[in-house]
Amino acid sequence: MLAALLLAPRFIDPYWVVFLLLLFMYVGIGSSFNITAGYLGYVNLGHYAFFGISAYGFAILYAKGAPFALCMATGVISTVIFAALISYPFLRLKGGYFALANFGLIKLFELVAGSLREFTGGTQGISLTPGYRPLQTYYMFLAVALFTIVVCYMIPKSRFGLALFSIREDEEVAEAFGINVNRYKMGAYILSSIFPALLGAGYAWYAAYIDPEIVFGTDKALLPVTMAMLGGTGTFLGPIFGAVFMLIIEEFLWTSTWLPLWIKSLHLTMLGLILAAVGIFSPGGLVTLTPIAAVFRKAGMGRFLGAAHKTLKAD
Amino acid sequence: MAELQIFIQLVLAGVLQGGTYALAAFGLSLIFCIADVLNITHGEFLMLGGLVTYIVYAATGWNPFLILLMVIPLFVLVGFAYERAFIKPILNRPPRQLLFSSIVVTVGIATAIEDTTSFIWGPTVKGVSFAMPAFIVGGVVVSSLRLMILLSIIALTVFLHYYLRKSFMGKAIRAILQNREGAMVIGINVPRVVTFVFGIAISLAAVAGVFYVLQFTIGPFIGLPLTIRYIAIVMLGGSGSLVGSLVGGLILGVAETFAGFFLGSHWSLAVAFFTLVLVLLLKPEGLFRHV
Repeated sequence: MLAALLLAPRFIDPYWVVFLLLLFMYVGIGSSFNITAGYLGYVNLGHYAFFGISAYGFAILYAKGAPFALCMATGVISTVIFAALISYPFLRLKGGYFALANFGLIKLFELVAGSLREFTGGTQGISLTPGYRPLQTYYMFLAVALFTIVVCYMIPKSRFGLALFSIREDEEVAEAFGINVNRYKMGAYILSSIFPALLGAGYAWYAAYIDPEIVFGTDKALLPVTMAMLGGTGTFLGPIFGAVFMLIIEEFLWTSTWLPLWIKSLHLTMLGLILAAVGIFSPGGLVTLTPIAAVFRKAGMGRFLGAAHKTLKAD
Repeated sequence: MAELQIFIQLVLAGVLQGGTYALAAFGLSLIFCIADVLNITHGEFLMLGGLVTYIVYAATGWNPFLILLMVIPLFVLVGFAYERAFIKPILNRPPRQLLFSSIVVTVGIATAIEDTTSFIWGPTVKGVSFAMPAFIVGGVVVSSLRLMILLSIIALTVFLHYYLRKSFMGKAIRAILQNREGAMVIGINVPRVVTFVFGIAISLAAVAGVFYVLQFTIGPFIGLPLTIRYIAIVMLGGSGSLVGSLVGGLILGVAETFAGFFLGSHWSLAVAFFTLVLVLLLKPEGLFRHV
């Protein structure tokens, strides 16, 4: 599988290289969203903000001619610092308040990025020296996605992961058992910000142009979150499955010619309704549905549906 | 002297804006306390209330306060329907799942409402310019439209206060707030009260929308930023408290008006955020409790 992905750009059409590259991006964002939403139980609807902050950090420096590595480091480090600062007050919020405050951050950043003209170029955005670099980006995003997946796979097996799970099940009980709840919550929040930060900086480099709408837009921000929840947060496999499923649907449904135009213009409405339907009918996500779970089990991937799935059923 | 007049003018504008916030924020905090659901769709109903007013006003030219009287029952029904369709199916889940599902469902519906509204009515901002004579008291210009809005808000708040104290439904709501199991034991039909609370809360949001469209302009995407402000207000005032929502709304409204005057209006959302972060750091349980 890995070898196939490594060699793929040599054999497939450039169009599909870009398709896969975006897929890696969404897998990375969705899986890291899963660290807080699935493992910790704090739904961070503003997860995409990390992507945007890093993209801006990268682009502002890169446009001034700084070397690539420095820009990358600045983007990621500034995002992590921001996550550390905001995590303390925000993780005091319970559930829904936490989700919405974070979601508001995105709106706030969209406004700030649009109004600080000297730094961010306002709503016109920042243009970098253009360059067509799908191949480099492909390998970079593949690496980041793999990195994310490995980390997400390791967490449930570690002490850290166990602490997150117990906080998710019951915060007071976890505290009573001597878990430093605040430290673990902040740790998970900060850890989850690293991956979208890497991808955000990479995306700015790849696209060579960013504006507030691209990196902080509501629809862009909701897409990876929708994918992860559709696939199923709390399971290791869910966000990956969700991203693949959703991108394939997007690819074949929204680009098809037989669909009437008015449905296509209601793209965001459909996204919202899918999200609502997931919430009403399948709160555990698609991978917990019996037929889909059965397919994964048959393919020998049953253990990836994981412990998280079991606890979801238990409560 | 001029500074003082500007100051008074700003405070007045802030109080008005805060009162409009408080109406909708109280609905949000009621829903949160009674049903354990964070209704992220709340700001969208404010937008829809404003939109209905705009459409009816543009078609008929009626007095907006007359339209207000139609908006209230209309959105009580909308609230019932909304609760039946989207909230009832998830209401019986265990707490953690309920929270998760309610976020997913309400964010989804909010996005769908925003997108559909902007598709049908276009993304341009709309306002109702209903002119009423202004008068001057001690060098301060007071528009009678704003005075009318302020009086309506006060009347509604007083009504709500007595409604929660005296009526059967109000007593049932307070009973559930104090002790849910106890309320069930003495025979209060909790699901019905939940449906009812959604009706009241969403109609309050729509009423705030009518006042909003009279003072400012509405567009399809104002909903979510507004809901964030309500969250800040509810956190500030303490959930389930009418007085808390009022005080929180007034503080935020005045702070935003001052920030808008001195820094520029696009910073008003940032003010809501700083308020929220400050409250969370200093007094995470809010200023008030109880109904």
